[in-house]
Amino acid sequence: MARMKFLCDADRCIECNACVTACKNEHEVPWGINRRRVVTINDGLPGERSVSMACMHCTDAPCASVCPVDCFYTTADAVVLHSKDLCIGCGYCFYACPFGAPQYPKVGNFGSRGKMDKCTYCAGGPEADMTMAEYEKYGANRLAEGKLPLCAEMCSTKALLAGDGEIIAEIYRERVTTRGYGSGAWGWQTAYQETINV
Amino acid sequence: MLVKRKSGQAGRSRLQSAVAGLASATLDRRSFLKRSGLAVGGLAAAGTLGAGTVRKAAAGPMMEGVEVDIRKNICTHCSVGCTVTAEVQNGVWTGQEPSWNSPINRGTHCAKGASVRELVHGDRRLKYPMKRQNGEWVRISWDDAFSEIGQKLVELRENSGADSVYWLGSAKFSNEGSYLCRKLAAFWGTNSVDHQARICHSTTVAGVANTWGYGAMTNSYNDIRNSKTVIFMGSNAAEAHPVSLQHILSGKEQQQANVFVFDPRFTRTAAHATEYVRMRSGTDIAVIWGIMHHIFANGWEDQDFIDARVFGMDEVRAECEKWTPERVENVTGIPGEQLRRVAETFATQKPATFIWCMGGTQHTVGTANVRAYCNLLLATGNVGKAGTGANIFRGHCNVQGATDLGLDISNLPLYYGLTEGGWRHWSRVWEVDYDYFVSRFDEVPAKAGREARTREQNMQTPGIPSTRWFDATLLDAEEVDQRDNLKAMIVLGHGGNTVPRQPEVKAGLEALELLVVVDPHPTSFASLHARPDGTYLLPAATQFECNGSRTCSNRSIQWYEKIVDPIFESATDYWIMYRLAQELGFAEEMFKNIEMVEGKFGPEPSAESLLREINRGGWSTGYCGQSPERLKAHMANQDKFDLVTLRAPADAPDVGGDFYGLPWPCWGTPEVRHPGTHILYNSEVHVMDGGGNFRPRFGLERDGVTLLAEGTSSVGAELDDGYPEFTMAVLRELGWDGDLTAEELSQIERQGGDDVDAVSWSTDLSGGIQRVVMEHGCVPFGNGKARAVAWNLPDPVPQHREPIYTPRPDLVAEFPTRDDAREFRVPNIGHTVQQAAIDKGIPESFPIVLTSGRLVEYEGGGEETRSNRWLAELQQDMFVEINPADAAERGITDGGWVWVTGPENDSRARVKALVTERVGKGAAFMPFHFAGWYQGESQRGNYPEGTDPIVLGEMVNQITTYGYDPVTGMHEGKATLCQIEAA
Amino acid sequence: MTNREEQKGLRRRGFLGMFAGATAATATAAVVGAGAVNEAQAQETEDEMRKARYQETDHVKAFYRTNRY
Repeated sequence: MARMKFLCDADRCIECNACVTACKNEHEVPWGINRRRVVTINDGLPGERSVSMACMHCTDAPCASVCPVDCFYTTADAVVLHSKDLCIGCGYCFYACPFGAPQYPKVGNFGSRGKMDKCTYCAGGPEADMTMAEYEKYGANRLAEGKLPLCAEMCSTKALLAGDGEIIAEIYRERVTTRGYGSGAWGWQTAYQETINV
Repeated sequence: MLVKRKSGQAGRSRLQSAVAGLASATLDRRSFLKRSGLAVGGLAAAGTLGAGTVRKAAAGPMMEGVEVDIRKNICTHCSVGCTVTAEVQNGVWTGQEPSWNSPINRGTHCAKGASVRELVHGDRRLKYPMKRQNGEWVRISWDDAFSEIGQKLVELRENSGADSVYWLGSAKFSNEGSYLCRKLAAFWGTNSVDHQARICHSTTVAGVANTWGYGAMTNSYNDIRNSKTVIFMGSNAAEAHPVSLQHILSGKEQQQANVFVFDPRFTRTAAHATEYVRMRSGTDIAVIWGIMHHIFANGWEDQDFIDARVFGMDEVRAECEKWTPERVENVTGIPGEQLRRVAETFATQKPATFIWCMGGTQHTVGTANVRAYCNLLLATGNVGKAGTGANIFRGHCNVQGATDLGLDISNLPLYYGLTEGGWRHWSRVWEVDYDYFVSRFDEVPAKAGREARTREQNMQTPGIPSTRWFDATLLDAEEVDQRDNLKAMIVLGHGGNTVPRQPEVKAGLEALELLVVVDPHPTSFASLHARPDGTYLLPAATQFECNGSRTCSNRSIQWYEKIVDPIFESATDYWIMYRLAQELGFAEEMFKNIEMVEGKFGPEPSAESLLREINRGGWSTGYCGQSPERLKAHMANQDKFDLVTLRAPADAPDVGGDFYGLPWPCWGTPEVRHPGTHILYNSEVHVMDGGGNFRPRFGLERDGVTLLAEGTSSVGAELDDGYPEFTMAVLRELGWDGDLTAEELSQIERQGGDDVDAVSWSTDLSGGIQRVVMEHGCVPFGNGKARAVAWNLPDPVPQHREPIYTPRPDLVAEFPTRDDAREFRVPNIGHTVQQAAIDKGIPESFPIVLTSGRLVEYEGGGEETRSNRWLAELQQDMFVEINPADAAERGITDGGWVWVTGPENDSRARVKALVTERVGKGAAFMPFHFAGWYQGESQRGNYPEGTDPIVLGEMVNQITTYGYDPVTGMHEGKATLCQIEAA
Repeated sequence: MTNREEQKGLRRRGFLGMFAGATAATATAAVVGAGAVNEAQAQETEDEMRKARYQETDHVKAFYRTNRY
């Protein structure tokens, strides 16, 4: 069974934000909610690198383990999804997430943040696949359509990889071998407790 | 809203430490801006949307059970030419999918391309025609708009002449729209017709064409995959042309290529280079001569190439000798050892390519800069082969096409000159009397000691560049070399904030009698001033709402389909120009050979038929072989084209052997099936495989030295030495005229009249000359040498000249700007301004060098992209980048408000400070996409309700200053002085 | 023609109005309302929710192919 992963090749990422607007476009994500973001370190200095980050769909996801209402579930593809019907907006997952992925429509105290929103790996939620009901709450379900997350599909420099973890690791390995350098698979140790050895 | 943003912020800093492993990582431009809070007009409430849900169901990317139509169009932002695949349901654009088959973008986009669907949601678009009446915007009908505008134009023509009306067209037009706009100006009777190329690459076009024949990118984005060494100079492609980096980074990895970035600013592109070279703005020529100094001193030049294919390199060599490493370092700030390393690498690790953009072109010495770059390529033999070349990244999606189609003050479509020959050629194609056009132009009286001009002479005189239109409005009439001042601006798809001296632009706008803005958005032309009357806003459709062709930077022409009908009351450019022509009384003549189709508001010219007319006249540039049918076949067969060579296999149906998009020149009629030219001047292949050589267009010899190539010609040519362009006389001399068909010959004889011998490859409407010449393996325009020295231009060998506002007044005596002169109907007093600046001690009171440039999420004047909520969210504030040392001296904090002031017009702009090492000490950078604030005041109220862009900000061009390239009128947008203080 | 187009325009604008601020309060209400309705709509069973959706389609293969050299 293929295990879905994200991998951002920081040596390719130019911080163009295509991934960010592709996500907004595909799911009509409202202003202020950012399922995906690009983070730049050493901005303006030699060694400047950017990484596109969203929910990494972790193995043994920490968000799921802290959720008081158990709204998270992991699919057989290892995509971490959640039910907005169950979510109470407590914000625990936000504090648990090592990547800062969970987003809330409002800021407030316990329970008043509104339903949590995050990257679904373009795989919708608990409503029936590819229905309007699912779209309204979670956005498109590209995975069910035989596609991959649009952020990765539209990445300008082919920096952001998505899909079968083994295949994308192999693609990344090939790049590192060819070019002779690689900053490593960002976030993989934290998310998947593994790394890519070249 | 503010508080809500904080949740995002917290997430962000967490993210940052997660990836960096540091809590104190440097913040980037976006976290800085988010941290600075939100002052976003009009969207404050939107953030409260979607309590727990994504959005309300309506026209979303999936309407259950509704059939999905797939339409292919091309991104309307930069010149890379990314295919946009749209899903359309019930006439609504509901989804955007990757376009895997495009050899250009292979599915990908940048932030702008990935959000183009929003443009036809259009909540901030102009929705219907409007005019300003007693200071209020009122809605009017299209018919009333046309008739009022038409009447006013006729009145102006009577009182002040045809030249009192300026037609400012667009690099966002299709090729067909560009052509139509140029043709419209010709029928109106003025050469004051221009577009954005003036302010981005006019100096490139002039410099490059004067070096080797055509003013365009020689290779392609894809071909850079072959390069072993790449220099970017004044190009930040990672932000301006993000998808090009896909090819460049992949090539860099596979070739282990050297990538050098020369820039005053450590750009996002520099972050991916193998070496960054910081230089002082406006010293390009000194840098290039400094590189070539090392090349010549070490014998790294390609002497065989120079001998066979270059004229005048010795004069350049002599100039380079003067540029010793010490002198170069003094002027440019670059250490000699670093330049030596660049020189050796570029000259010896080949193929090498040189990429430049507006950092090179937007200078008083723009044309000379460009010729210096070309000289570096020529000296090292890096032109005309895979992986080499002058890879000029054009700016807008069809700025190459609009340039080609003559949306320009100094030529007709496809670079036919304003000479009698050029006019006669197009008169023949249009089947309109040459004398009709003569009659449309003004007679110009003698003024201020200048001679009068007849109508015909005026018809051959270049118009006013878009950078100077307001001078032609504001100057004393005696100073403007035409019948009267400029009184009306018709602006079609063009921002107003993109030229310097905005306080004077504002005054110019206020002085106009008529201002017509044809655009999807009001633009700063509508918001900068408070004209009470005489301003019209006409809602134009985007290119996603019509069909046609556009030419990417690499000269590939792509045909695109309409995705949805024009939204609201918007109309296509085709219809708008047709209706204007109707109102002005020449529609029948102008469209006599154009097929009309039923459009949204009635008959409009068909794009296919316009392209066919372009084909019928496009011989000079090889725009003759790209019929609509061939281009459509290319779009339908994108998957057949190779990623690197851009060529389809010989056996591919419909497109066999073609290069993708039939990059011009694509010689002969479509039936000849020339494959297009992927790499210009490539003599290693047959002309029918896209081969060529340099174009002899400057005579046959100079100072007793031949200007034809020596001992070399392209593969398969029956003439194995240099040869001139082909005319009937040459054909007869060679005995090749017998190969013409009877039909071809009869056309040539008919149009040649009593001088059949003079009919040439570029005027023969039968295409016979081109066909026959290519059968003999020859290139229609001849086989000449490139020119290292352009004796017809100012500074035949490019000379370093200090910017008008220079931080180094000590260098001005040795490197002054050029003397004052009259250019393009107005005075250019750069020299006076430079002297005055020194006399007034400007370098002391304004000690920081200011440069400008692009951000990835916005484009051009920015109105469209700042109106797109998905993009606007990413960049909410105008800012200035300032070095930490300069900031500390001034008590400026990161994220704090500052005033940036400039040396002219008491100009000042209130912006946020981004304190960063990205700019060196003594340098500052501001993006040029902002407008809607003026000297600290928001002008949101000047926009018609609901059409104000989400994000507004101060214009950098309030601060930028005087300075114009003598060859093209390009403004100085990259090197001026400013002062910055905490607000 | 014009009239029909106008209606289309208005409809689209009506929809977009919800992003434009003035109608945001009503829009939010509508969204919340829609959420409530949705709860009554088809939910996937536990097995359906967790089933694998990924398939190596031509589309996905094109993604992998264009990511390789």
